[in-house]
Amino acid sequence: MSARDLVHHSGGAAPAQLADVLERVLDKGIVIAGDIQIHLLDIELLTIKLRLLVASADKAKEMGIDWWQGDPFLSRNGGDNKLESRIKELEKKVGLE
Amino acid sequence: MIGTTPAVGWYVFGVVPSDAAPAPGTYLVERGPLAAIAAEVSLAEFGEEVLPERLNDRAWLEEKVRVHEAVLQSFVGVTPVVPLRFGAIYHDLGDVRRLLAERGEGFEAVLERVRGRVELGVKAWFDPTRVTRPAAGSGREYLQQRRDELSSARDAAAVAAAAHERLASTADAAVVNRPHPRELTGRDEQMLLNGAYLVPDGDETFAAEVARLAEEQLGAGITFELTGPWPPYNFAEDDA
Repeated sequence: MSARDLVHHSGGAAPAQLADVLERVLDKGIVIAGDIQIHLLDIELLTIKLRLLVASADKAKEMGIDWWQGDPFLSRNGGDNKLESRIKELEKKVGLE
Repeated sequence: MIGTTPAVGWYVFGVVPSDAAPAPGTYLVERGPLAAIAAEVSLAEFGEEVLPERLNDRAWLEEKVRVHEAVLQSFVGVTPVVPLRFGAIYHDLGDVRRLLAERGEGFEAVLERVRGRVELGVKAWFDPTRVTRPAAGSGREYLQQRRDELSSARDAAAVAAAAHERLASTADAAVVNRPHPRELTGRDEQMLLNGAYLVPDGDETFAAEVARLAEEQLGAGITFELTGPWPPYNFAEDDA
């Protein structure tokens, strides 16, 4: 194996990675104020959105984004069950069941 | 229908010398020594009212961004090209010619700078599990290994910075960009370096230097990736 074989070269016939293309086409090149305004804010929103789209739920968990797990409205096995059983308990006490 | 505004505009991809041949599906709008690479687009798709929504439609955006890249890519190795950022749209060809008139000097300066050159991208990745070291026999050795792993991450960042310096000295111009976060790359390795380099077209010196770096850093868990040749996106600003 030659030293050249150690370097992964994408390019030529291989389709470029989307992230590389987005970075160059949306963030580099000369900025021209055309007749139709592209708002930078839209682009920024979009890159944030793209980043989140690319991240799967598993990846998000790895990154420590797991807010939905403790949210009783979003998680069936989180606080929800406890809340339900507590309500049942109270209902029993006041003779509703 | 009465009173409808023209439903087409001109999307401008970039600027080339006026003696260039047009890319398939595009026109060259000439003025003096320069020509704008332009294509007619529907304002139902690229109009100001619909664009914010389109920009957030991932499939639409990916398609258009890839077209933008493909058009500019067709000039790589053929004629110098100044890439414009995505979304330069004009109502008529007169406006496109006016752009060439107003920014002509800057465009010509960039064309001179990138003539006969291409952009190459280099990424360095760090994978701590690939750091070569002897297997741990005792608990003490294990602890030492953990300490080594932590320091190897710090070393890796320094290696990436040094690699950029070396590559920059081999290139005609160099830019270091923010490494992509893991959420974007979807890879376990950490991106340490995201550099762009302007090098002579067809010259193998730069690729050889990347290969040398890769060989040197193999045991440190650092791998290198070369992308391109690209149109000179990172070297297009007039004042760069």
